[in-house]
Amino acid sequence: MSRPGFVLEVDERTPSLLVHQGEGFRLEKFPLGTRVIYPPDSLPGIRDLDAAIRHALLNPHGTPPLPELLRPDMRLTIVFDDISLPLPQMRPPDIRGRIIEHVLELAAAAGVDDVELLAANALHRRMTPAELKRAVGDRVFRAFFPKHLRNHDAEDPDGMTHLGLTRHGEDVEINKRAAESDLLVYVNITLTAMSGGPKSVAVGLGSYKSLKHHHNVHTLRHSTSFNDPPNSAMHHSYHRMAKVVEDHVKVFTIETTLNGDNFPEATKFLQKREWEWNLRDQASLLAFKKANEMTPLKLRREIWQRNDAPFGVTGIHAGDPKEVHPLTLANVHRQQLTEIDGQADIGVWGLPFLCPYNVNSIMNPILVMSLGLGYFFNLYRNKPIVRQGGVAIFYHPMQNDFHQIHHPSYIDFFEEVLTQTTDQQAIESKFEKQFAEDPWYTHLYRNSYAYHGVHPLYMWYWGAHAMEHLGDVIFVGADRKAAARMGFRSASTLADALEMAKDTVGGSPSITYQHTPPATLADVR
Amino acid sequence: MSLKSDFRELVSGRDWRGRSRTPRSAVQYREPSPGLTFPTAWTRSKPARTVRRGLHSGVLKPLVWAQTRPTVEGTEYLDGLTGPVIFAANHASHLDAPLILNTLPKHFAGRVAVGAAADYFFTARWRAVLTTLAFNAFPVERFGGSSKQKQASLAPELLDRGWSLLLFPEASRSQDGWMSPFRIGAAFLAWSRKVPVVPVAMRGTYAAMPRGEWAITRGRPSLVVRYGRPMLPHEGEPARDFNVRVADAVHRLWAEEDLGWYRALRESHAGRIERPAGPQGAPWRRLWEATRPLRSSSRPNRIWS
Repeated sequence: MSRPGFVLEVDERTPSLLVHQGEGFRLEKFPLGTRVIYPPDSLPGIRDLDAAIRHALLNPHGTPPLPELLRPDMRLTIVFDDISLPLPQMRPPDIRGRIIEHVLELAAAAGVDDVELLAANALHRRMTPAELKRAVGDRVFRAFFPKHLRNHDAEDPDGMTHLGLTRHGEDVEINKRAAESDLLVYVNITLTAMSGGPKSVAVGLGSYKSLKHHHNVHTLRHSTSFNDPPNSAMHHSYHRMAKVVEDHVKVFTIETTLNGDNFPEATKFLQKREWEWNLRDQASLLAFKKANEMTPLKLRREIWQRNDAPFGVTGIHAGDPKEVHPLTLANVHRQQLTEIDGQADIGVWGLPFLCPYNVNSIMNPILVMSLGLGYFFNLYRNKPIVRQGGVAIFYHPMQNDFHQIHHPSYIDFFEEVLTQTTDQQAIESKFEKQFAEDPWYTHLYRNSYAYHGVHPLYMWYWGAHAMEHLGDVIFVGADRKAAARMGFRSASTLADALEMAKDTVGGSPSITYQHTPPATLADVR
Repeated sequence: MSLKSDFRELVSGRDWRGRSRTPRSAVQYREPSPGLTFPTAWTRSKPARTVRRGLHSGVLKPLVWAQTRPTVEGTEYLDGLTGPVIFAANHASHLDAPLILNTLPKHFAGRVAVGAAADYFFTARWRAVLTTLAFNAFPVERFGGSSKQKQASLAPELLDRGWSLLLFPEASRSQDGWMSPFRIGAAFLAWSRKVPVVPVAMRGTYAAMPRGEWAITRGRPSLVVRYGRPMLPHEGEPARDFNVRVADAVHRLWAEEDLGWYRALRESHAGRIERPAGPQGAPWRRLWEATRPLRSSSRPNRIWS
């Protein structure tokens, strides 16, 4: 039986607590009275995954069993979540590959010839052949790559189909092959409450024309939070789009959820509660920390990126997306939700080495911002953990370093746009079109492994709600120039950061530290 | 950060074994201890009993008696009593068990097993060996434990074999020197096995060696071990009521130190003696009162005071 999540109140017995900061971590002694939100212990994974997958496909929610939907002359498209999920990457075999194999077994038995596999990468970079192979497994890769296993291309003029408009006038444009399929099977991993459900097809296979209706400053400011779908304007838009998709394409979704096992055995101490560390954990921590600090940055990144998570699968549900997704969300909440009473003056988050957009890549300053003020700030339901006008303190080194292949438009955005303004609405109105339609960025997105030209702007909008809500943002341990470029202050230590926060929240603020990873969704009462 | 400063940060707040105390707000979320896997039968063998006798008479008793001034009262209630019985005492210090074991009449002293927290004394083999050998201890699940662990509890079996038990129904040493409510386990055991309970009140042990301390405070503090009259459940009395009666008896024995025997008795009959919970208010005031030195009973009272 896994223990539930809980809120620790730091007292004189509390040892130093672990705080992630990029490709490393530190031990921090928090002020007495600080509240620390811990996620529930990792739930046990399903022991017989193959049986669970078979059961899900043969006993779906709201649709006939998958074999009954398959026929020899049909066009079957299997779509799967891209490299941005799960985080960290799952220790092989990937659950997507295992599910796809089962779907293909059934398709083969039904005599289906026309099968295509698509990575739902939306405006993300294309997955490399090696990454595709890892996601779908060797057998599937050998049988389908490269002709019938490919990345979605949102800028292919002949590869997109406009399905229509939502009742709010939003364009719904998705991948042509998917739109023209007799059956679209979507294989999903829902890591947080924002993913899956109506988002999968409408966003994963969408285009800039379609995504701009919800990936904008206005919508994101009204998504409070985007991990709380009923209160998220972005999800309302997803639902409207999913309705249009549903009217045109038959979608059979398979959603999976994972437990909190983020770290391999050797670094298991990273997800144990600090007062439960035994001598071995402490010795491992010291040795690992020292070795990590002595390792050159490039190699250190490589090591952390290879940190495959030994995730266990906590749920597999298949069928109609509308019926499946609530079950998936319940599983996510079971693993991540912790209740906390009231908001704090200061929220603290340790930002790890990874966000959805730097898998096998570099976490540049804009991604650090989107991870902190976007993803982590929004890990709440009901209310943010920080009060309106409060202060957010993040830990990250925020090196001014960019991946030249993956993030070319990020470099220009950082150097040319953020030097002029950090105002999201000004950026949206003045620069979005230029970045979105730049032919060189589009060429790199389609032919190289670059994120779409507009992606850095989206990441900047991702923090729109946090920026509007917070009175100040301080990064501990960050490169001062990089932080200042984005309008943030930096501090060397927590004590310095708290001193700086005095101007905004006074001398004796209440503090809440959201202890993550593994992901913790705060249910703020 | 240097290795040295990391090390300092890591060990800060931890004891020499690298263990941290569980923060108060995390206590209810502790992982159930594996407990009860440690065999204890060997400690009741003749050689172990001989070693234990030597340890108590040669080391523990001289050590404790040299550094404290214990006063023992009420042993006359035990004179005609034959085992097995359950000694139920309040618990504020690691001194409690050695004090009781070394003040019991001879016919009990060698035949008492001590219930010790499975999640504290039996989580490391070396500590389990020492505790078992020195105190004839057996593991007790304080926080429920699994049904398998509960079933494996040794207490009923030990009573059946004629061993008396020393149990601390508060389940843990006092945080601040005052008493916590009695859990029902000890009373239920006595009720179900029809064995008498001897209430025992310890005074001054918190001031002499509180939680977190491993040495007795200087100045030979006064301690009191006060035994009460053995109690059996009345005919038809529910275990819960019996537990309340046992707790009341310990509360009265505690109050005797301040009120004297007869007044404590009268106050108790009038229902005016409650669980000693200390003064309300700031934590320091509770600690202050809990650590107030006892009047040394070995010195005669000054008649003019």
